[in-house]
Amino acid sequence: MRLTAILAASLLASAAPALAAQADPATAQADPAAVQHGPQDADERGLWMQVEDAERRLKGSNFVIRDPALNAYVRGVFCRAVGEAECAGVRIYITRTPFFNANMAPNGMMQIWSGLFLRARDEAQLAAVLAHEYTHYRNRHSLRLFRNIKDKTNAIAWLSFVPFGAIAQLGLIGSVFGFSREMEREADTGSVKALAASGYDPAAASQIWGQMLAEFDATAAERKRKRRKEGGMFATHPPSIERMQELKAQAAALPAGGERRAGRAEYRAALAPFWADFIDDQIKLNDFGATELLLGQLASEGWTGELLFARGELYRSRGAAGDFEKAAGFYRDAIAAGAVPPEAHRGLGMALLRAGAASEGQAALQEYLRLRPDARDKAMIATLAGGQS
Amino acid sequence: MKLGVKHGAKRATLILGAAALLTAAPAMAGFKLMQKGQPQLLRKSSLTVTPTIPWNRLGARLGRNAEAWTLDGHSLNDLIFYTAIPAGKTLFREVDKKNKPLPKFDSKMLAPDIAALFESSYRIAGSTSLFSIDSIEPATFAGKPGFRFAYSFTVQNEEVRRAGEATGAVINGQLYMITFEAPKIHYFDRNVEDYRALVATAKVG
Repeated sequence: MRLTAILAASLLASAAPALAAQADPATAQADPAAVQHGPQDADERGLWMQVEDAERRLKGSNFVIRDPALNAYVRGVFCRAVGEAECAGVRIYITRTPFFNANMAPNGMMQIWSGLFLRARDEAQLAAVLAHEYTHYRNRHSLRLFRNIKDKTNAIAWLSFVPFGAIAQLGLIGSVFGFSREMEREADTGSVKALAASGYDPAAASQIWGQMLAEFDATAAERKRKRRKEGGMFATHPPSIERMQELKAQAAALPAGGERRAGRAEYRAALAPFWADFIDDQIKLNDFGATELLLGQLASEGWTGELLFARGELYRSRGAAGDFEKAAGFYRDAIAAGAVPPEAHRGLGMALLRAGAASEGQAALQEYLRLRPDARDKAMIATLAGGQS
Repeated sequence: MKLGVKHGAKRATLILGAAALLTAAPAMAGFKLMQKGQPQLLRKSSLTVTPTIPWNRLGARLGRNAEAWTLDGHSLNDLIFYTAIPAGKTLFREVDKKNKPLPKFDSKMLAPDIAALFESSYRIAGSTSLFSIDSIEPATFAGKPGFRFAYSFTVQNEEVRRAGEATGAVINGQLYMITFEAPKIHYFDRNVEDYRALVATAKVG
């Protein structure tokens, strides 16, 4: 798959790998394929320079998650999936952006949005997406696309279209450029093969795209409209039932035996320090349908305290008829399940106050302040709690 | 904030402060000087403030119930007035109602709910996850019991770290709120006291 905004960047990037090679000999050696395709003309050189510039800006961005442990983990999964030699020259940037997305620019810059981590359920699913993206990169799909577009349109007009500065931004031009069905098929096949070869469960590819398909439908249903046909990161990677079936069939056709690693426990452990922030980002998107479905998917093996707390926050933030009562129930269950932050008591108190259960609500808020004496919202919550704690 | 704004067949990106929400160009009809010491009735509302220093009102509107003033230009320091927002309405104009609908105000919201509404609106409109409410406390606004909260945020692709402060109250079931936000470096501290002085002059009705 590949991203939208970045999409553009990737396109551009693919146009100019040779410069990258000059700038970074290590990269060039690690990815000999990149060296073969230098920029073919002035347009492509210009494009490539812009991609380099975008990467420079990304390096210094406030949005990049630089946690060494998470970065090492993700790189490890990627390298395992595509092979040590192939991954060596790739630079991975994890950004705090709450949507499902990953992409590779033709110069070897890979960007992964934090929303992907919320949606992949295990290491194999993460590997499936990264390997899919890598296949686009390895097969120079963006370069092919670029040439195709350049043949048809004025390259200058195209340049003005592309938000290079917006490398990390939500996609704006996805509906204009998209990988062809043939390229998607290649990338899908590439990901299934990579999974099988690296010992990951090849069924993960159809699983994660299937989950995304369901999420889109949930968003659309909640908003009472048809599933989005364009925009978003899937402008270029439209999940479809046909694709799911094809991926499933390819995985099933692989010879039996061999390792079929899912890596769920490792994945959860690596993401644990970030999960609360990522789900909080998702809840604040005001997309109830998708978030409710996502929580349900994550709870396929049971509702943990953490998931129940998130669900309480989701219902409380929507605040439709009956939501505060439901939210209070989720917070109570979360607290009973244990391992929840003090904010579960805050949520319970706020939900009860809105539901009209004042004294109970105040008691819960007081409990929150007891557990979190240095809370940032202490002054306001203390007032709502009816005390001057 | 930085918003994608539909502009003909393609989208252009505008960087606006919180004045972010200012939409496309034609509306940028210029500024009007808000004289020191002269009471100003906010458009189409019953909110009056008396500036303690001169401000510039931006010609463009952020929505039916929101407008912006600045000192040095929008995105350098933005004073935003949310006036008489009724239940069921968004804080400012929708940026992409179909795909990124903004949350709506509810008269029964408590102060932390309003801060959460504000946060979610900014995150959605500005496509950012780097937003936090840093403190929230009771405050008096226009002589009524209300709230004050501090926030900070960074917009993607612009990367400037900004600080903000909001003061407001729900009066007769409608939300009144004045915010001030500016880059953390230099601009916020330089004028936050001017903002507080202006907020102290707010009257409703």
